[in-house]
Amino acid sequence: MTPSPHHAPPDRPSPREPLRRRTLLRLGALGGTGLALGPLSACAGPTGAPGPGTLTLGLNRSLVSLDNKLNQFDAAVTVQRAVREALTRIGPGMRVQRVLADRFEMTGPTAWSVRLRQGVRYSDGSPVTVEDVATALKMYGKVNGSFLLGLFPELPTVEKTGERTFTLHTERPVPVLDRLMANIHITPAAANRPEELQSGVGSGPYKVIEANSGAGEYTLARNPRYWGRPAHVDTVRVRFVPEESSRVIALRSGELDVVDTLTPDSAEQLTGLPGVTVQETSGVRISQLFYNFRKPDDHPLADARVRRALTYAIDGEALIRDVLTGSAEAAEGVVPLALEGAVRTGAYTYDPRKARAQLRQLGAEGLRIRVIWESGEFAADNSVMEAVADMFRDIGVRASLLQFEPGGDILKWRQGRGGDWDVIGNGFPGTTGQALTSLQGMYGGTPERERTRDTYMGYVVPDIQRRLEDAATETDAAARDRKLAAVQHAIWNTWPSLWAFAPKTMLARRDRVHDLGLLQLNSYDLSAVRLEG
Amino acid sequence: MASVTSTPAAGTERPSAVTARDLARATATRQRRGSRFKIWAGSVCTALVVLPVALAGLLPLPDANAQDLSERRLPPLSDGHLLGTDQLGRDLLSRILHGGQVSLSVGVLAVLVSGLIGIVAGSAAGFFGGWVDALVSRFLEAQLALPLLMMLLLVVALFGPSVTVITCVIAVAQWPEVARLTRSLVLVEREKPYVAAARVLGLRGWSVLTRHVVPNVVRPVSLVVLLLLAQAVLLESALSFLGAGPQRPFATWGRIISDGQAYLTTSWWLVTLPGLVIAVLVVGVNLLGDGLRDRTRRRKGAGA
Repeated sequence: MTPSPHHAPPDRPSPREPLRRRTLLRLGALGGTGLALGPLSACAGPTGAPGPGTLTLGLNRSLVSLDNKLNQFDAAVTVQRAVREALTRIGPGMRVQRVLADRFEMTGPTAWSVRLRQGVRYSDGSPVTVEDVATALKMYGKVNGSFLLGLFPELPTVEKTGERTFTLHTERPVPVLDRLMANIHITPAAANRPEELQSGVGSGPYKVIEANSGAGEYTLARNPRYWGRPAHVDTVRVRFVPEESSRVIALRSGELDVVDTLTPDSAEQLTGLPGVTVQETSGVRISQLFYNFRKPDDHPLADARVRRALTYAIDGEALIRDVLTGSAEAAEGVVPLALEGAVRTGAYTYDPRKARAQLRQLGAEGLRIRVIWESGEFAADNSVMEAVADMFRDIGVRASLLQFEPGGDILKWRQGRGGDWDVIGNGFPGTTGQALTSLQGMYGGTPERERTRDTYMGYVVPDIQRRLEDAATETDAAARDRKLAAVQHAIWNTWPSLWAFAPKTMLARRDRVHDLGLLQLNSYDLSAVRLEG
Repeated sequence: MASVTSTPAAGTERPSAVTARDLARATATRQRRGSRFKIWAGSVCTALVVLPVALAGLLPLPDANAQDLSERRLPPLSDGHLLGTDQLGRDLLSRILHGGQVSLSVGVLAVLVSGLIGIVAGSAAGFFGGWVDALVSRFLEAQLALPLLMMLLLVVALFGPSVTVITCVIAVAQWPEVARLTRSLVLVEREKPYVAAARVLGLRGWSVLTRHVVPNVVRPVSLVVLLLLAQAVLLESALSFLGAGPQRPFATWGRIISDGQAYLTTSWWLVTLPGLVIAVLVVGVNLLGDGLRDRTRRRKGAGA
């Protein structure tokens, strides 16, 4: 008997129907899933791993240009100097090394004799000339808002004395001119402009073969015409990776070879990992919680005694130990002690009871403090600021925090044009390795410069400015050091900072990267770096 | 005949091929069961987050901003800290609950404001039509065309990050969805006989709208508003994560996660636990809204 059709199992496929719609859909879904998950499986491995001859650097700030006229943060120096060179550079031990110049000598209080090295040339083969140096100095002088200009008491003028020789003249003595000239990058005169150069050639061991300044990404190749010892690595890729956690993960996966300016917590995560080495050295940058010196005379913060009383609220030891996890040293002077000419002037003491008593005595009880800073100004900045606000609360001071994102209005606020504030979280680099330069940059403000709001947080103390100028023009090294020491004590007694610390410079690299000589300036000579494997 | 009218005795064969099993497997039954489950699960998940957040001030918890630098980054179930501590030694549970108060307050206020704007604008557009409809529709289309997060970041950058600004920004960002739904519901309602009857009785347009039409559409609209709550909380967290949230030391869920991401590999709980709380709340609110919507639909269907 033939079974009736409705008794047949409804789901069983008929032999005449080899491919049903449901089967087709299932197969399609399976295929789709495979296609969707396929790329994900590739994420498990270091897909973006650099090749054997390529070194990849992960920068925490965007390198807008390979020129340093307006853009010279610590890690940028490494890359910028691999392409463009200066007459000198600050090398290991903060000593001056000659680069494009093979002679750089002070021949008089206001004159320096310089000779360009024989055979120095740009990557296009053209020679470096005295005219290039003269033009570079003129162009740096014409740039508006240059951070570098603040380091120079005055820009020197060039007097050509021969094919390769010239004299640098200043109106007043500038005893550290050889160090300052490490910041002036030399570019062919015809291509130099009073702005950040987006293209052009340099005399460094690398030349640019691909640049995307908007994304902060560059590819450098070894300069075959380099006048000195050629670089070891064929290609260097520079990437901008703003997120600290992304940089750490990229280094762990092998996508990046070197990440600089590490926070203490990231260093802790990376320490001890196989294939990764963390390098650290004492830094020459000072990070401060600096008072606003533009307060009216009747404001409590205009009184140095109130400023000092507030410093007793800050438990610097706990901040260094627990928040910065030992990655910084508490400041014992007004500039980092690693700088030449810096002296110990005192130490910040934690005594909240004393802070409360002194504030009461000075009639500054119930003070309200507004603390401002820009994200990423220093490592663990958010945690430091929240901890400081809590410490203020313990002495009865109400602190409000105002955080700016990079690219925000902090510059306007810093100049007193955005709004009122009391304490700013800020850092000042020691680009020349000399205490004098940092001291002048921070504490050498004059009423004339304050009119254009170009002083450091409004710090204008005529006596200190005069004494700094006196020390800066002193040609006798011993006398200069004595004067500098005295003026540092005088600055300390004005209590310019609520608290300050010198962060250590930290960098992490894959183990295949060798001979990376991290300098105190938080940079290194890229041409000396070697790659293994 | 008698066999047709008589009630079949228990245990006798049903007079239909549809078995009880078939009924249990029917789509309608499954949907009813599904909506009941969604409401139940959604209520549990939402209550799990909302109740502790609302009662944070009454619970025996340490101060959310009280720091103890010697006890930083303690793992969960440490002594006195159920969910551990953060990078400054603050109790994470307390921060999540107090942060939740900020995040939830912003979310609730934002959806209330957006719901109000959406209902007013959408019902006016749907009921009156003409230039009111054109104006409201074009305005909401223009706003829907803008990338939401970019717009929010722009407004926060212009007016500064404060709780008020962020609430207003999220509220203004969400009104188009409510307005669109209200408009379409009012379009249906205004053609019904009771509206014509009200007009015949001499009621003016606004009176008909507010006294008769809006009460009939407010229920489904309020469900959409509930669903928007989850989105508002997520938006607030996203803004805080991107650094555009209320200023420190206000703890918000987004900021707790943002601060914790630097410790992802060493202190997993700083990111995972607040993330889990957000996920539970969002899933809970969505399930609850979904379940309520299904139930409303069914009731409407049954009524019809």
